[in-house]
Amino acid sequence: MEVSSDEGEIQTPSVIDMTTSEKVVDLLNQAALIPTDEKLTALKQVQELITNKDPSLLDNFLDEIIAFQTDKSIEVRKFVIGFIEEACKRDNELLLRLIANLNMLLRDESVNVVKKAILTLTQLYKVTLQWLVRSKVVSERQEACWDLVTQMKGDVLALLDSENDGVRTHAIKFTESLIITLSARTSDSDIPKRQEGDISLDKVPKDHSYIRYDVLCEEGKAALEKLLKFMVHPAISSINLTTALGSLATIARQRPMFMSEVVQAYETLHANLPPTLAKSQVSSVRKNLKLHLVAVLKHPCSLEFQGQIGTLLLDLGMPQSEITRSTPAPREQRKRPR
Amino acid sequence: ICVMLVIICLLVAYITENIMSPTTQHTKRGFDVRSFGTGSHVKLPGPAPDKPNVYDFKTTYVQMYNDLVRKDKELYTQNGILHMLDRNKRIKSKPERFQNCKDKFDLVITCEERVYDQVLEDLNSREQETLQPVHVINVDIQDNHEEATLGAFLICELCQCIQHTDDMENEIDELLQEFEDKSNRPFLHTVCFY
Repeated sequence: MEVSSDEGEIQTPSVIDMTTSEKVVDLLNQAALIPTDEKLTALKQVQELITNKDPSLLDNFLDEIIAFQTDKSIEVRKFVIGFIEEACKRDNELLLRLIANLNMLLRDESVNVVKKAILTLTQLYKVTLQWLVRSKVVSERQEACWDLVTQMKGDVLALLDSENDGVRTHAIKFTESLIITLSARTSDSDIPKRQEGDISLDKVPKDHSYIRYDVLCEEGKAALEKLLKFMVHPAISSINLTTALGSLATIARQRPMFMSEVVQAYETLHANLPPTLAKSQVSSVRKNLKLHLVAVLKHPCSLEFQGQIGTLLLDLGMPQSEITRSTPAPREQRKRPR
Repeated sequence: ICVMLVIICLLVAYITENIMSPTTQHTKRGFDVRSFGTGSHVKLPGPAPDKPNVYDFKTTYVQMYNDLVRKDKELYTQNGILHMLDRNKRIKSKPERFQNCKDKFDLVITCEERVYDQVLEDLNSREQETLQPVHVINVDIQDNHEEATLGAFLICELCQCIQHTDDMENEIDELLQEFEDKSNRPFLHTVCFY
């Protein structure tokens, strides 16, 4: 029954009396019948109610919300992915139930759904690893969950070869995040505030009952190699080249032990820009290369690469005075070790 | 698809009005357009090129309008600035600064390389969080009425084409090449991540 807002006010007392649970049931019932736009609004309200207002309801209504993963609307399916991410972040145990759903959505027929699923896996890969590392005893279900996440990781890495440019872009960002997670944070790592609490290889115990430190370390290195190989593909699009250049700068700043590989890759690229790029795309890529080279140069660990980076920047048209301004002074503690 | 646009240039009124007007198709199709400035102040042409009228981002369009009427109503009527402010105030109360906006967009369009650089600098300085991509495109448009009108048509057409793509990220490269050839202007294009 539809009521105007005025009539609605008369009925308000009964609305107020509804428990959160009843409200959720009501919204879910409505959501099944209404057009996409309103459905999304209703589902977002449900999410707010059961993840923030009363998280004890999360478990009860999980299946009802997940059922929308087969909705014909792309936006609704993307909503379900966002919900999976929120729910699993709030209650890690839910990974056991929801990771398989994410796996299905990762194979959705719509690239926009696949892209959203990649973004969520980028987050949930870290969440799952952290959860397992913290668990004193790892159950069989947790083991299966980690195996599936590992398989999904491989699937997304394979998407670097996707036919779809946007999917490749998302796969690059996943790879960037994976390389950072699967390598050790050091005192020289430049960690963004928001990522301070993130898991990284150094927090994985070497004697963990299920997670193998050495295997993860090798997987991280392999991912970096894959990214570097991806970058020198002669038919790479300018956008994916740009994305990869940015990823390398992030990796160099957060994991300075890879700075040598990164600077080497920048040098190689500068000397061999893909022949498929149009003139304006070359300008765009060179502008980006400059931007990221400066970001790497500003890192205190750039010391032994400052010559190489400076030469590249001069070639790219940056005045020497500006290069000097972006070059950090050698650190005091290196001069006078305590 | 629902694409958000940020269009940044001084004489932005033509472009935003053309895209945002409720009578155009874009809006009906879910195009959400917002305009921003990137400088530290809002600058409007003054009596001479070296004497612009400078306002901070707290100043409303109505206040600017009244200020210019007081200063030289004839000049600012003649050069179209009052007309532009009058249209702007119907869209929103005052200009917004891009760097202060925390909303997420799919697409940012700038009309000057200097502004494109500022947008890139700002987006790259933000901490990555969701890794959701935002494409940034620069189309050079001179800041005068004639160019703004031409540029408005070009950008509207570009937006319309983007709106009609099934998969923007997969098709944008090719689309931009076509527009470059057609308009004889170079387009800068990059992607950043939230």
